[in-house]
Amino acid sequence: MFHVSFRYIFGIPPLILVLLPVASSDCDINGKDGGAYQNVLMVNIDDLDNMINFDSNCLNNEPNFFKKHSCDDNKEASFLNRAARKLKQFLKMNISDDFKLHLSTVSQGTLTLLNCTSKEENKSLKEQKKQNDLCFLKILLQKIKTCWNKILRGIKEH
Amino acid sequence: MTLLSTALGMLFYLLHAVSGESGYAENGDFDDAELDDYAFSCYSQLEVDGPQHLLTCTFDDSDVNSTNLEFEICGALLDVDCLNFNKLQERYFLKTKKFLLIGDSKICVKLEKKNMTCRKMNIVKIVKPEAPFDVRVVYREGANDFVVTFNTSHLQKKYVKVLIHEVAYRQEKKENNWMRVNLTSTKLTLLQRKLQPNAMYEIKVRSIPYANYFEGFWSEWSPSFHFRTPETNGTGETDPVLLTISILSFFSVALMVTLACVLWKKRIKPIIWPSLPDHKKTLEQLCKKPKKNLNVSFNPESFLDCQIHKVDGIQARDEAEGFLQDPFSPQLEESEKQRLRGGMQGPSWPSEQAGITPKVFRGESPFRCLAGNASVCDAPGLPSSRSPNGREGGKSRPLVYQDLLLGPGTTNSSLRPPFPFQPGILTLNPVAPGQPILTSLGSSQEEAYVTMSSFYQNQ
Repeated sequence: MFHVSFRYIFGIPPLILVLLPVASSDCDINGKDGGAYQNVLMVNIDDLDNMINFDSNCLNNEPNFFKKHSCDDNKEASFLNRAARKLKQFLKMNISDDFKLHLSTVSQGTLTLLNCTSKEENKSLKEQKKQNDLCFLKILLQKIKTCWNKILRGIKEH
Repeated sequence: MTLLSTALGMLFYLLHAVSGESGYAENGDFDDAELDDYAFSCYSQLEVDGPQHLLTCTFDDSDVNSTNLEFEICGALLDVDCLNFNKLQERYFLKTKKFLLIGDSKICVKLEKKNMTCRKMNIVKIVKPEAPFDVRVVYREGANDFVVTFNTSHLQKKYVKVLIHEVAYRQEKKENNWMRVNLTSTKLTLLQRKLQPNAMYEIKVRSIPYANYFEGFWSEWSPSFHFRTPETNGTGETDPVLLTISILSFFSVALMVTLACVLWKKRIKPIIWPSLPDHKKTLEQLCKKPKKNLNVSFNPESFLDCQIHKVDGIQARDEAEGFLQDPFSPQLEESEKQRLRGGMQGPSWPSEQAGITPKVFRGESPFRCLAGNASVCDAPGLPSSRSPNGREGGKSRPLVYQDLLLGPGTTNSSLRPPFPFQPGILTLNPVAPGQPILTSLGSSQEEAYVTMSSFYQNQ
């Protein structure tokens, strides 16, 4: 009788604490009014878009990253989280300070608004491969922009 | 077991309650009274120098000894965790482009690396725009208004682009009586009628972020601009061309009115409202040159002294034939003399003749009005006019015709030539029965016919 009570006291609560993050959502989207995105993130994304010169055929070939990760329903925050972390990889490239500043603003700003957990962050880091192609960056920025618009549109409809 | 579980729960609760730093409240502000001495306030200016932003903090109490005090900002920064402020006199400022502009930051006052006081602030909520500049006021004479324009550096910025501008103006003599107008554009129109004429005005502008995402404080006032309002049109300059045209128009109108009044009866009214002609008056006007002693009148009263006898046509012809067979009688000569003596007087046939019967007329009277021709017995142009009564010529001699009515059956026979020796004899023209027929027997055949034109001739 004693060992049964001991199990329930010291076994179950820790199990609950461990399982709670799995059941809960990965990211919590802040700034749902769209002010931060429209006045800060979108300004920097447009500046990056203007600074990148690429071939017209670049947009036709979609990288594998986007085949694996897309801005599906109920997975918008997760996609943005991965996309924002992908942007950080481009900071290591040989680029100008202004370019780096815009990249940092978009990636860090997105992550700040998403407010994701650390486990999700570790997971996304493991899956990343080093893709420093500017064409990929251009597509990535467009996907981020589209996903944010989808989130804000969905919030307005509700 | 129940007691054991309860004890453990209470233990966990106590550990959680005491886990925070001492003096920390829920809102993150310090509650210690002594920390109020380091109260400070900050404001941010975005893109003040290219992409760089400026954050400025000052103590609320200017008496604070800030010798060893430092400011530090942590959070909402790009690629770094914290940044230290620079000190300039009593002001602490940080010029950097590493502001994330998303999320809250914590600004702390540090004394020898120890946080004395901290405040959580959001950089985008304490924005202070740059002051407007280049304020201009232009007067538009045609529109009678003042156009106020100014410039602001935020028109070229990426973040804080939309501002609310406040334009304040006052009459220089009246202090602290500012009129204020809010607008989002950089152009304002002031109506002249709302300003005092011939007065000096002062105007200035300031801005504040439009409360969309960026918020903050009013900027500093722009440099003032002074302008003078023109005088009113009554005492001011008037257009000389307009004045000349107005004077000429006035005099033209006055002249036209005067001419209209003067020429109304004689010229204008007959054209606008012509009078219907009166045939009697018209006929009188035709004979409006009455000669001396010649009275023309259709008034029946003027024919009262004329004896009117109806003449039988056949009897008149017989008498005329009988008359022609006789030689010149001395009576004829006497009658001529009398006529010559009478002259132009007494155009009316005498009443003696009125009493002459046809019978008398046949044998004795030299005066005959024979049938056939209409002529003037007493033609004004003929010297042989006779008037047995010899009326005086105080009045103009009227044309008096004896109306010798002929009976029906008389023909329009011409006067025979033998009668030319009978001057001044009125005969009737039997053209129409009942109408007066006047004939004249002149000395010659040509004088036998008398026309209307002979009425105008003097006797």
